[in-house]
Amino acid sequence: MTHRHLDARHLSHPEPLERAVAILRELDSESCLYMMIRKNPIPLLKLAEENRFNYLSREVRVGEWHVLITPNTRVDLTEHLRV
Amino acid sequence: MFEQQGLSLDQAPPIRVILRLFLIGSLWGVLAGGWLMSFGASALDPARSEALILVHMLTLGVLASFMLGALFQMLPVLAGVALPDPWTRAVRTQYPLMIGTLFLLLGFGLGGGVYYGLGTLFLLIGLVPTLGMMLARLGRVADHSGSSRGMLYAVFNLLVLLALGVILAGVRSGWWGSEHYLALRTAHMGYGLLGWIGLLIVSVAFQVVEMFYVTPPYPTRLTRWLGRAITWLLAGSLLAELVSETLQKGLIALVMIGLMVHGGITLRRFSQRKRPLTDATVWFWRTGSVTLMLSMAVALGAMFTPVPIRAEQLAAVLFVFFALSVIFAMFYKIVPFLVWFHLNAQGYFAAPMMHEVIHPRYAMKHLWIHLAFILISLTAIIYPPLWSLAGGALLLSFGWIALAVYQAYDLYRHTQRTGERFTFPALS
Repeated sequence: MTHRHLDARHLSHPEPLERAVAILRELDSESCLYMMIRKNPIPLLKLAEENRFNYLSREVRVGEWHVLITPNTRVDLTEHLRV
Repeated sequence: MFEQQGLSLDQAPPIRVILRLFLIGSLWGVLAGGWLMSFGASALDPARSEALILVHMLTLGVLASFMLGALFQMLPVLAGVALPDPWTRAVRTQYPLMIGTLFLLLGFGLGGGVYYGLGTLFLLIGLVPTLGMMLARLGRVADHSGSSRGMLYAVFNLLVLLALGVILAGVRSGWWGSEHYLALRTAHMGYGLLGWIGLLIVSVAFQVVEMFYVTPPYPTRLTRWLGRAITWLLAGSLLAELVSETLQKGLIALVMIGLMVHGGITLRRFSQRKRPLTDATVWFWRTGSVTLMLSMAVALGAMFTPVPIRAEQLAAVLFVFFALSVIFAMFYKIVPFLVWFHLNAQGYFAAPMMHEVIHPRYAMKHLWIHLAFILISLTAIIYPPLWSLAGGALLLSFGWIALAVYQAYDLYRHTQRTGERFTFPALS
């Protein structure tokens, strides 16, 4: 699975959401968004959930969340988590 | 708009709930500007009913509308608190608030218990159930952030403010007498300016400044203690009024110092941004922080030293600059985000980007209008005939905001009518 990386740790809200949604639109079943961000992006996750994406969000250290989103519902995203 | 767990989109209020509150708040602002234009300096004379009307147009009309709109929007996202059926709840708050404010203003202008009675009744019907529900749900939050804790105390203070207002309305309409009228009025102002407006704004700042502008977080001790300290000090000052005026002033002074510290830290945080991009909202925040600090400094001076009446007027006017500056800063962040987010959540491919909903240049022009209003108002304190011109600038400022709300909602509806819905990648 290919990762589309988005390091949003130094971006101010709402730029991370805009960029993430732009990437979501380009994903296929063999790709996923891999996002690093300072807060858990609840609106993005809910948007992913409502559009039936497969997603994972994990705080890997204080103030750093890793978020994976893919349309492929069969893949186990924990295996793709890089911590 | 990120942190709390368990949020669902259907717990967020519909976009038109928020935009309508903002639009009504803007129209009250236009009215307040027109009022100041018409009555000039007499609308700033505390002994005149014109001043009472102007103050309540700004507080109940403008600030309450914008701040309730922000609460409806931010309670789910900043505090994880969802209000059931937010559409109905907002309607049941918004219209009684508007009607109650109108009756109250008629009471101030024309006198008579009927207007005060109707005003009080509608305000209670509109605010108490909603604020009670917010308070109860905020009270049940298990793990408070600085913002959610501050919101809890600010909502509590608004209820106390409302109760004091009802007592004062009763005194003014002759339902009952009170030998403590002036003390109650002072407490009403303290709860309104410091406990409700000031505390809600600084509490929201704890989270949104860091999030919107990538600043270091506020000091934990400040976020943990400021809300409850302000609330307990205000409650203490209410009781101290009966015992010792010096003690009462001392407690209020501590509240003011707390808000000054917050203003100073906010300014510092903006100078510590990791990506120091500057837009109008940054300058609105800076203007708000500076005017908050100046307002508190002047009010402290006026409290403990004999100063001309204009110093008190200056403190109050500076506080208005603070509240309006921060509300405008939040407005230009919230509205484009809401339009963009709701359209994207609905899958509209042609959803405009946030900078297309309200262009940054539009916000920058508003900043200049706002700064002109501030400059003219400060000059008017020395040369009162300029208050009418300040009213014109205020009218223009809120007309600008009202137009932005209209255009944002128009773009939202236009995209819904004409936009192609995007289908996200098919399930594998």
